[in-house]
Amino acid sequence: MNDPANVEYRIAHLKERLAAEELGELGIRIEHRGSSVNVVGTVPTSHCREELLRTVNDQLAGLTVHCDIVVADAAAPDHPEEVA
Amino acid sequence: MIRIAAVGDIHMGLDSKGVLRPAFETLPNCADLLLLAGDLTRHGTVEEARVVAEEVAGLPVPVVAVLGNHDHHDERPEEVTAALRDAGVRVLEGEGTVVEVDGARVGVAGTKGFGGGFVGRSGSEFGEPLMKEFIRYTRRCAEGLRTSLAELAEQGCDTRVALTHFAPVADTLAGEPLEIYPFLGSYLLAEAVDEAGADLAVHGHAHAGTEHGMTSGGVPVRTVAQPVIRKAFNVYHLKGGRSAEAAAAASGSA
Repeated sequence: MNDPANVEYRIAHLKERLAAEELGELGIRIEHRGSSVNVVGTVPTSHCREELLRTVNDQLAGLTVHCDIVVADAAAPDHPEEVA
Repeated sequence: MIRIAAVGDIHMGLDSKGVLRPAFETLPNCADLLLLAGDLTRHGTVEEARVVAEEVAGLPVPVVAVLGNHDHHDERPEEVTAALRDAGVRVLEGEGTVVEVDGARVGVAGTKGFGGGFVGRSGSEFGEPLMKEFIRYTRRCAEGLRTSLAELAEQGCDTRVALTHFAPVADTLAGEPLEIYPFLGSYLLAEAVDEAGADLAVHGHAHAGTEHGMTSGGVPVRTVAQPVIRKAFNVYHLKGGRSAEAAAAASGSA
């Protein structure tokens, strides 16, 4: 179940699911590091975050997964950039 | 001075209603126009486009947009465009628009753009028909950008901005895996910008990219993908007049 090739294909299938299912998500980095999988990125809403984590846990069940998924900040900027 | 607000990759869905509106309502205090750099929706459905439209409807600053690849996913880009235009958004594809700001003419040329990669590491019009069409499509996008920037110069625009979804330079992709750069942008877009001249190039698409870059011709490039800028939008202050000089230099060297 946890041989490296199998994990790689499971990650690939997870990426396919994230793109094809409700989230339409292409911007999440999912990387096999050592004996675990890291899932990192930014999503538009807290609902998207919940859905993403549910899909990750489903697709990568049995693996050690470290998630760092944040919701995009919707605050107005506090200063401009002066473009030279 | 021209104040340009910009954001891309807001990926709005039905659960996004009202998320950005409070920040957008501050725009009259800090910006003269708002640019939307594509991937406004998640799947390109008309329902999602209507969420975006409601988010910007009635804003007191002009809103100019290009679509992104997500906005094409449902294969109804015309309907997505129509939903945005119903809310007053100027949606560009291979064309330009002029915004008047305190008597100055600000031109925005827009195209979604496409991939292909960057100099020395790019696809070619060679081999299978699909591969040739991949690059030809990017060329058509770039040509639309070049001609619309040139037309904006002819129309006396003091300031010109190139608005794309795909990246014109690799600088702003730093942070993305190198292997996917050809799917994130094309040097053909930067070449078009440098040939026709612009004061700023704004794009989205690369969620793990880096905000600042520059074309080889010296045009500042900014990615405004919301996951990169980590705000509802960024604001860029531009001095007017430089693009006219650049256009004159470009025409003199042609």
